Amino acid sequence: MHALYGKATSYSNIEFYDEWFVTSLIVGNATAKGLTALEMKTGQMYAFQGKSVVMATGGHERIYEFTTFSHTTTGDGMAMAFRAGAALEDMEFVQFHPTGMVPSGVLITEGARGEGGYLINANGERFMKKYAPEKMELAPRDVVSRAEQTEILEGRGLQGPYGPYIAIDLRHLGEEKINLRLPLIRDVAIKLGGVDPVKEPIPIRPAAHYSMGGIKANIKTETPISGLYASGECSCLSLHGANRLGTNSTAECLVFGAVSGEQAAKHALSTGLHELQQEKLATEEKRVFNQILGSEGSERVSDIRDEMRRIMNEKAWIYRRGDQLESGLKEIRQLKQRFKKIKVQDKGRPFNTGMLNALQLEFMLGLAEVTMVCALPRNESRGAHSRTDYPKRDDQNWLKHTLAYYTKDGPKLEYIPVTITRWPPVARTY
Amino acid sequence: MSTRVEKTVEFKISRFDPEKKKHYVSTFKVPIRKGTTLLDALLYIKDHFDDSLTFRQSCRMGICGDCATNVNGKPMLACYTQVMDLGADSLTVEPLSNSPVIKDLVVDMQPFFDTYKRIKPVLIKPEEEFKKPGEFSQSPRELEKYWDLTLCIKCSICNSACPAVIDEKFLGPAALTATYRFLTDSRDQGLDQRLKPMADNIWLCTQCNSCTMFCPKKLTCASAIVDDHSLLVEAGDIPRTVKDVLESVYKYHNPMGTPQAKRMEWATNLNVKTFPTTTKADVLFFTCCSNVYDQRNQETARTMASIFNNMKVSFATLGAEEWCCGDHMLRLGEKGLFEELAEHNISMFKKFNAEKIVTLSPHCYNTFKNDKPYSDAGLNVQHYTQFLAEALQKGSIKLSKPIKKRVAYHDPCFLGKRNDVFDAPRQILQSIKDVELVEMMRTRQSSFCCGGGAGRVWTEDALPDKRPSTNRLQEALSLNVDTVAVACPYCVTTLEDAVKVLDVENKISVKDILELIKEAL
Repeated sequence: MHALYGKATSYSNIEFYDEWFVTSLIVGNATAKGLTALEMKTGQMYAFQGKSVVMATGGHERIYEFTTFSHTTTGDGMAMAFRAGAALEDMEFVQFHPTGMVPSGVLITEGARGEGGYLINANGERFMKKYAPEKMELAPRDVVSRAEQTEILEGRGLQGPYGPYIAIDLRHLGEEKINLRLPLIRDVAIKLGGVDPVKEPIPIRPAAHYSMGGIKANIKTETPISGLYASGECSCLSLHGANRLGTNSTAECLVFGAVSGEQAAKHALSTGLHELQQEKLATEEKRVFNQILGSEGSERVSDIRDEMRRIMNEKAWIYRRGDQLESGLKEIRQLKQRFKKIKVQDKGRPFNTGMLNALQLEFMLGLAEVTMVCALPRNESRGAHSRTDYPKRDDQNWLKHTLAYYTKDGPKLEYIPVTITRWPPVARTY
Repeated sequence: MSTRVEKTVEFKISRFDPEKKKHYVSTFKVPIRKGTTLLDALLYIKDHFDDSLTFRQSCRMGICGDCATNVNGKPMLACYTQVMDLGADSLTVEPLSNSPVIKDLVVDMQPFFDTYKRIKPVLIKPEEEFKKPGEFSQSPRELEKYWDLTLCIKCSICNSACPAVIDEKFLGPAALTATYRFLTDSRDQGLDQRLKPMADNIWLCTQCNSCTMFCPKKLTCASAIVDDHSLLVEAGDIPRTVKDVLESVYKYHNPMGTPQAKRMEWATNLNVKTFPTTTKADVLFFTCCSNVYDQRNQETARTMASIFNNMKVSFATLGAEEWCCGDHMLRLGEKGLFEELAEHNISMFKKFNAEKIVTLSPHCYNTFKNDKPYSDAGLNVQHYTQFLAEALQKGSIKLSKPIKKRVAYHDPCFLGKRNDVFDAPRQILQSIKDVELVEMMRTRQSSFCCGGGAGRVWTEDALPDKRPSTNRLQEALSLNVDTVAVACPYCVTTLEDAVKVLDVENKISVKDILELIKEAL
């Protein structure tokens, strides 16, 4: 990121809008025309005209309680594109990483297992021998995450103050190797978990980590909305299918970040600026300042946020079941109603992070609903979507992509077939 | 998720309402558990008590650099600090220093990033090189040279801790460290372009070491700046003032440009033994050029000699064979000259069989202890405050006369920040009857440099209000003290200069601890 930032500073025609918070996309006649954004420092809202708009806004895993995500990556871009009429594709497929550190969810990199770390349950067993006897800890993420979750559900998790967990044990690697190969892991474990992996195992459990789904886009990163591009995790180019392999998202960013830049530039050179209707800005100002900042209810934003995360962790986690998804969806929809009665204490305009938290929560509630709505009908288990009531993959009925579209009454689903090229799906055994 | 509450900690948070232009303090009590970071505590306050509390944060894992803040006077990443580790029941939380506050703990980072952009933080190569396909490869050893310096997260903690950035001309530790990172990158071809932006301002760095001390990613910023200095010296791209100092040392072996033959003039009538007449004594007294040539500081050396005599300590100096210790030369980037000075002094120490060296200046003390080749010579060295604190404890000197004064002690960086000598000078001051010792607001590790280090004492060309000395003296004035006590000749020079600049000679005076001891003896 720092190399990219440095490179970007070397172009005099790049204008940085640091700490501007985008609130909505302006789309008309299936064409992206610009966006509205708050200048955080002043709290002023502005409309931007743009010939091309590139979404590079990341995933939505902050809808979960336990996630590797930074606090501020809340899927805003996905939610805005969805509201503006773009389809969200395959949103039921969320990757769970096997090693999120307890309690913060901070990622313990794959390298910890790559260098030879053991996963241990409460009985001190390397339990992966039951699930992937050959690959053991190095089995794919979804396999390891499900194995950990099974151990926890069946009562073989270690007991800690933050609930049951699994241990990743690096002690046998020795201090020298840990310092040489995993220095940042040691630092993070000490600073954030109060645990020195040289001396004791690190408490971990599966954490929401990546969204295979996102804004539907093609291999050129074009969305069905002219001038709107999406790349990286917020997009769904179907690059990862239902289950991403480790490190492929970095490759995705490098390749499709460049593609979206080229495509957006080409498009911008071939078209003029679109007229923005003034009422678009006025409408958005009304939404943000009157409805959200001005709301005089009694609900705390943080209460609704925590409740949403608890529901998602409980009902749309690694293992899912129809009845739970159904009741979870109902609860998320109740939260959306409660959101209408929030109160942001801070009424000032400049740098109002209380208000921004509310805006982000509204985006997340929308995405939590989409995730549930997409997961509910998929009566099969595929990739990262594991249904305990439908444990098998069902290619006959479900070899298809889910598309979710925004309507006032909630997401509307459509399905499109999967393009199979060289590798038809087969049973995965380890 | 919950675990046992270990304790409740009071957070006193500095607030600023930008609309009402009002500064105030809010106090909150937060339950702290094992694992609770400062950021967790701030988020707890925002979620449970006051959603208007404003701070930046994002990654919560020490990578984004958003949550840097001052806690009990020290800049740190809130997410990377366990509250339990701070060992305090009450914490003062303030925004970073040296940047305008936007709201509460949020400061304006724009100037910091604008500065960063000036140094071209990207590989510089001829245009056609970038058009070729393929990578610019380098060996692991070449990568190793600068790898640690790539870990900067641009949190601006170094900027907040830096005394020199009060002059906005100064590029600041982050940008200067990044400059060195590119200068040592075997793929980079931008030497000239990189030297230029720093050539006229890097000399404002005083090498106080605050940037290195507080860097959450442990970057050795201060050393990187010295290495920048060296490249500028090599290229000959140095200001007249720096050149003059270096030339004086070349010619005369002291920065004052005074013949070494006059080195012992300060000791007239004091019966001070010198090498080579004397080749053995219990203590080798290393006086420092500043104390022997600068008339203002000569009294310090004289007092120390008298105390040695009173204590009946057998001591001697190297006389004309005492050359500048080289600390300033090293930090100005003249490593060759430093080595020449060091080798001479070390050979003299050997000839003298010096068992114990006592220095007047923290700069000599530091370089003898920490810089090669001195540090390899296994010298037994004490700063005079350590020597005298011990003597007071043993009762071998007695301070009998009272001094009825309110005194603030200013920690010299090369004694405190670089060597953790914080208590000895305070013990001395406390043992003087009637002295009321008050602490500066920025004290000990958080002390604010006088602005004299790394040669700046001789090369100062900043406007008075942009000098660290002025800034520091104003802090002392706000404490209503009669005296600022120091334990370093350069602090005397710079802070006394600030007294004149601010025209407060009738309100406050600057004294070396030795001068106070002389009054109290």
